[in-house]
Amino acid sequence: MKLKKQQLRKDFKTPAPVTWCPGCLNNSTLLALQRALAELVREKELEAKNIVLVTDIGCGAKAYDFLAVNAFYSLHGRVLPTALGIKTANSGLTVVGIGGDGGTYSEGIAHLVHACRFNVDMTMIVANNGVFALTKGQVTPTTRDLKRREQDSLFGSRGLNPLVLTLASGASLVARGSALDPNHLSQLIKTAIRHKGFSFIDVLQPCLVFHNDVEYLRKHAYYLKRPLGFKQAFDKAREWDYGNTPARRAVPLGIFYKFRRKTWEEKLALMRQAG
Amino acid sequence: MIKSLLFGGAAGQGIDRTAALMGKILASAGYFCFINREYSSLIRGGHNFDILTFSDQPIFSYQSKIDLLIALDENAILYHRKKLAPSGRIIGGRNLSVENIWLKADLDSFRRRYNRPVLGNNVLIGILIKYFGLPLSTAFRVVKKEFDKQEAVLVKEAIRFGYEKGSREETLPLKKRNISLLNGSAAIAKGALKAGLEIGFYYPITPATSIFDELKKMAGRKVTICQLENEIAVINATLGASFAGAMSMTATSGPGFSLMTEALSLAGMAEIPAVIYLAERYGPATGMPTQTLQGDLKFAINAGHGEFPKVVVAPGDGSEAFLRTIEAFYLAYKYRVPAIILSDKHLAESYYSFERMERPLVQAQKFLSRPTANYKNYEITKTGVSPRLVPGQGPIVRATSYEHDEDGYTTENSKIATLMTRKRWRKAVFITKEVSRLKPVEIFGRGKNLIVSWGSTKGAILEGLKTLKNCRFLQIGYLEPFPAKLVERELKRAARVILVENNVTGLLGQLIREKTGFSIKDKILKYDGRTFAVEELISQINRRI
Repeated sequence: MKLKKQQLRKDFKTPAPVTWCPGCLNNSTLLALQRALAELVREKELEAKNIVLVTDIGCGAKAYDFLAVNAFYSLHGRVLPTALGIKTANSGLTVVGIGGDGGTYSEGIAHLVHACRFNVDMTMIVANNGVFALTKGQVTPTTRDLKRREQDSLFGSRGLNPLVLTLASGASLVARGSALDPNHLSQLIKTAIRHKGFSFIDVLQPCLVFHNDVEYLRKHAYYLKRPLGFKQAFDKAREWDYGNTPARRAVPLGIFYKFRRKTWEEKLALMRQAG
Repeated sequence: MIKSLLFGGAAGQGIDRTAALMGKILASAGYFCFINREYSSLIRGGHNFDILTFSDQPIFSYQSKIDLLIALDENAILYHRKKLAPSGRIIGGRNLSVENIWLKADLDSFRRRYNRPVLGNNVLIGILIKYFGLPLSTAFRVVKKEFDKQEAVLVKEAIRFGYEKGSREETLPLKKRNISLLNGSAAIAKGALKAGLEIGFYYPITPATSIFDELKKMAGRKVTICQLENEIAVINATLGASFAGAMSMTATSGPGFSLMTEALSLAGMAEIPAVIYLAERYGPATGMPTQTLQGDLKFAINAGHGEFPKVVVAPGDGSEAFLRTIEAFYLAYKYRVPAIILSDKHLAESYYSFERMERPLVQAQKFLSRPTANYKNYEITKTGVSPRLVPGQGPIVRATSYEHDEDGYTTENSKIATLMTRKRWRKAVFITKEVSRLKPVEIFGRGKNLIVSWGSTKGAILEGLKTLKNCRFLQIGYLEPFPAKLVERELKRAARVILVENNVTGLLGQLIREKTGFSIKDKILKYDGRTFAVEELISQINRRI
């Protein structure tokens, strides 16, 4: 089912005024999530009352106010343990996390590595704008502008490739989307929510004020046709290395890797049965 | 009648388990016991010892004069010989080449036969049972309860072997009393179970997380216990689980609690019930991880950035640990606040005995409301407590670390911020009222002089009261909200007030001064990582009155 924009207006709308900058691409990521949820609910794959959104703090996290679902506005970088707690208490809930690249790849990176290992059945969306925007433009581990990263501070000396990290840590679905293509992104999110296990989506989402690489991404993005084997996925994840290599490279988008293995919740259920 | 046994040896020799088993046998024979544990942070080697004191009267602490020294290695004799009472005796293995061992037991034949060194310790138990003239059947009853079938056969065989080699020196009559022996960790686990705990998250740390070992033993798989990557994850997961409707808790010690304080504020702001068991140990920093101290009183009551109401209970012994744990759950869930159960290594790891558990004054529950169409997770009410729902029930539930309106939407509006802050703090008024009905302080003994303390020092003080003249003891069980009026009344009635604490600056004394204006001059403070021995405490108090 593909909903028209018109039809989407009412689904999950809240009365809260949008506080993102005019034209901010967070709107696109939100729209993609809203569309994915609305379609899944209309297709009766999900019940709206069982959706829980967990956000950290920062620009992307403001989505908490703009989606009328159960939600937990947690702390900077703490989306994943919060979500794990929620799923441990009630595995019947559908949990979607939204974090920023600062929170997820810097403050809370230990949680990301372990969430991949644990394979909690949830979807983690990182609104990766490559910058600490609310604090006015400091670099993050995934600032894509190499020059900027190196000039700004020692912190940026080498960028982090979150796809390589999550693949290596055992995430069972690894994907990359772009906020420049919310339709494609919403399909990614749907696949991720349907997937049983920890689904990770890094969303390239240029910040129009502090880190604008819209042109580059428009020009160089291309789409993967299907998920790859682990080794190929690993290589593909390094094809474009978040600006670490100065040479211009094409940016693959789509599902890199997808594998079904026992989830945290399934293991919990077995443990509880055994007792 | 009061007797003390010291079990000493190297880490890994099974000192603690042997002392605990002997304690359980004595308790089963109707004797009150107290076991104090001393060990270092290492796995094998070093020197550990347990003192098991028992009596036909209730006892609250250990006695340092030793009647029997049970030595598993030579160090035990070298270190503790001077603690022996004039009539005291040493029991040890045949391999020990130290003079004056009263009975040299053949532990090795058992150790070798099964290639299980620790099994030999049960030979000593057999010798002790014979020594005190207790029947083998009492011991066997306990063994049946404590070990699985296969293991029990071997343990019984070892005990019988020792019993046959030993000699009867005394005849302790069996008392018709049902006495339970529990360490503080087990008492807290029991309280959490009684409160309805469903999920526990932890990251391993001494001496706190042993409550989860106890819970596994008691509840099996009924309680879900998960180890996570660090204390930050642990506390956030606890909040997530609580938000999603499970009764949950976590446990940690000072270093881990430091990492948790960020999310403690989140619990305060988002009004999510959270129970945190905080077992103090010697600090600051790594300090001495297996030694005791009451250094975190102010840290616990002030933990977290920003101002928000919280509860801090400070039980003093095993049965109180059970009760206060239930109260912590009750208050946390009823008022949607974080509640901290503050204990320390001495309380967590000492064994306490009592005839029956006191009945809790409250029954913990989740305090969930009925779903309504226009549900607001932060509805402003007279008590400040908003109705509580969890996701999945129908109405949208929004919890947030940001300042928010009644629906949980983000706000920076000054009026709403004021209303919400007042709403949160209104809860504190009602918590304080409720706590005044939960015996936040207790008074023991009679006399014009007043001893004031909190937490695990209770044991040594109660034991001391048996000898001290003209002293009563005010034990403070709630640190937040602080029962200021009750405390002030007692302080003003006393001829002389003496503060007893296991820390260097008299933290309770500072809190009392802050809350009542009363300044306590006489302080007995100990901060070497060890708890007060009764004899030492009595002489210190007598010097002051």
